[in-house]
Amino acid sequence: MTLTSTFSLDWLFAALIIFIGAYCMVLTRNLIKQLIGLEIISKGVMIAIISSGAMSGNTNLAQAIIITVILVEAVIVATGLALLVKGYRLNENIDVKKLDNLRG
Amino acid sequence: MTYNLFIYLIITIVAITAVMARKMLISAIMLAVASIALSLLMFKFSAPWAALFELSVCAGLITVLFISAVSLVKKEDMALKESRAKFTILPLISGAVFIFMAIFLMPYFESLSGFTRNPEIQPKVGEIIWKFRSADLLGQITILAAAVFVVKSVFYKRSEQ
Repeated sequence: MTLTSTFSLDWLFAALIIFIGAYCMVLTRNLIKQLIGLEIISKGVMIAIISSGAMSGNTNLAQAIIITVILVEAVIVATGLALLVKGYRLNENIDVKKLDNLRG
Repeated sequence: MTYNLFIYLIITIVAITAVMARKMLISAIMLAVASIALSLLMFKFSAPWAALFELSVCAGLITVLFISAVSLVKKEDMALKESRAKFTILPLISGAVFIFMAIFLMPYFESLSGFTRNPEIQPKVGEIIWKFRSADLLGQITILAAAVFVVKSVFYKRSEQ
């Protein structure tokens, strides 16, 4: 196997990092850790975007998209952590399996 | 290429450590380290604006948010008992997935690099954000407003009568 560019290597590691984040999100019951998994996934996505931009010579467009991704990520984390703290104050718990107040 | 590989290894190891860490504080700090490594990579790809945002927002703001949330739910950090086995085997699983992807996905990624289209003109970042992707900007403003509304309503304090 010959590598024509670092592009495939970039995407290989991006896929690996996305897998690690998804593994964390799926298997943990801790809400903070689930948000950490989401952050790791977004790191992988950013690697994929910047690598594609650099390969196609369109770095500025990739930068603009990454700025959008970072903003959305920060908003999601802030909102998620606010809901988590509120849920902890109400239920004294951050275990997703115990958040079943609305179960009929 | 060696530099990129080094950065990728750092990000992968730090991500695995963040998932495996027993304490949430260590996970949050590892996430900040991953953000710093990613911003170094962005500088290497000559994307300074993205690197700046990554460094200030992801390594700074989000880490502060995580650490403050962890300090607010500190008691739970000890109380939530999860089996450690599923996190302990993560390095092994990651290695296996990496080998699998290197064999089966690498040729596909190689073929993708053949679709490269080099643009004739390359506008500046500000120009792209304001002119070409103004719909994104509208979405960003909307999502920011929605987040402010959510946080305000979650921590709403009733006035006592």
